[in-house]
Amino acid sequence: MGIESAFGEGFLTTKIDTVVNWARANAMWPMPMGLACCAIEMMAFAGPKYDASRFGSEVMRFSPRQSDLMIVAGWCTYKMSHAVRRIWDQMPDPKWCIAMGACASTGGMHRSYGVVQGVDNFLPVDAYVSGCPPRPEVVLHALMTIQEKVKKEHSVLLDV
Amino acid sequence: MTDNYIPILIMIGIALALALVLMILSRILGPHRPNVHKLRPYESGMDPIGQARDRYSVSFYMVAMEFIVFDLEVVFIYPWAVRFTEFGTGTFVSMMVFITVLLIGLVYTLKKGTLDWNIKTSHS
Amino acid sequence: MQVPDKFNPVTAAIQALDPSGQVQISVTRGDVQLLVPRTIIIDVLRTLKDDFGFTYLIDIVATDRFTSEDRFEVIWNIISLKDQSRIFVKTRVPEEDPSLPSTVDIWPAANWNEREAYDMMGIRFTGHPDLRRLFLPEDFEYFPLRKEFPLMGVPGSIPLPSTSPDVD
Repeated sequence: MGIESAFGEGFLTTKIDTVVNWARANAMWPMPMGLACCAIEMMAFAGPKYDASRFGSEVMRFSPRQSDLMIVAGWCTYKMSHAVRRIWDQMPDPKWCIAMGACASTGGMHRSYGVVQGVDNFLPVDAYVSGCPPRPEVVLHALMTIQEKVKKEHSVLLDV
Repeated sequence: MTDNYIPILIMIGIALALALVLMILSRILGPHRPNVHKLRPYESGMDPIGQARDRYSVSFYMVAMEFIVFDLEVVFIYPWAVRFTEFGTGTFVSMMVFITVLLIGLVYTLKKGTLDWNIKTSHS
Repeated sequence: MQVPDKFNPVTAAIQALDPSGQVQISVTRGDVQLLVPRTIIIDVLRTLKDDFGFTYLIDIVATDRFTSEDRFEVIWNIISLKDQSRIFVKTRVPEEDPSLPSTVDIWPAANWNEREAYDMMGIRFTGHPDLRRLFLPEDFEYFPLRKEFPLMGVPGSIPLPSTSPDVD
């Protein structure tokens, strides 16, 4: 297709990348998958003191169709993992994922038959946040990390 | 006289152009990874149960209908209201008749209680 | 420690219900506990509720004693609001026949507690209106809180979703 040849590695692509990635990074709407206690810290992350909307996450979109960042906050049981995966599948591309807290990253304190030992067993996680629960500033740092990732590693070439 | 309408034409043109540009850019620059779940309805990660069409209270329809009627009345009143001091008494009277007819309708509907939300609480 | 005096009518009535004298009454850290044989458990619980006012069921706990005889123990934690007293009624269930009559008729609150005991230990409650697993998926094959179940579970016993979206 002509589009691919116009979008080779070149001036046009990098310029478009700069603009599009800037827009995507600075308007990253989270889909809060608040499963447990980390959800409280996620609410603080969205609250007035550690304001997430100054980073562009203006609204917590509770619908997967309107969001591009899923924050899995809390431990995920095997039973719930199917629902989380289904919601992840329903989110439109491009999408990113933050595993917030020890339980979402590795299973945390719940070393048990019923808790998935890390949501990266079924989700492609982009940023892990450690803490039990992590302070809201750390979640902001994860958001900033994902913004850097979008600006540096994402490209229109991946999508056309 | 047609000069007055050229700004409107420009505005329509810009709106159309913007909409088309946004859609085309999204098609070119955006990712296309369709999967079967993106087309299915969202029901909190579960398989959908039941129909999407339920019965709603008729009060919703009443409110919507009456909004349309009175909103269109306002649409007619606006252009008249902008310059009504320049028109004669005849225009004023006919406008008043128009408003009065709709006012009688409003009084009728209020007295009939169509806009009351009769929520029956059933404790069985 | 001695059984407090206010429990004397209770213990007398319970011992009257049991002709074989197998009821054991003990006091642990201030709490009165009755160990009754499985055959009379329903009568004992009904008597406690109807005649002595123990109308509030707090919890039903199932434990795995891991002994070869009478492996499981089921404990009813009931209180009487009127008299402000608590009593623990225990019964033991063997592993070969882990079943008990259901107490849902006595206290409707026992419904989910008995489902939990079934889910975790495999103790069946006969006469329960809806005995199915409470926490784990319906088709899970093991009883996790039994002592022989490994901590991290049996690999493959509970499915994870697939990592690619096209597979349903």
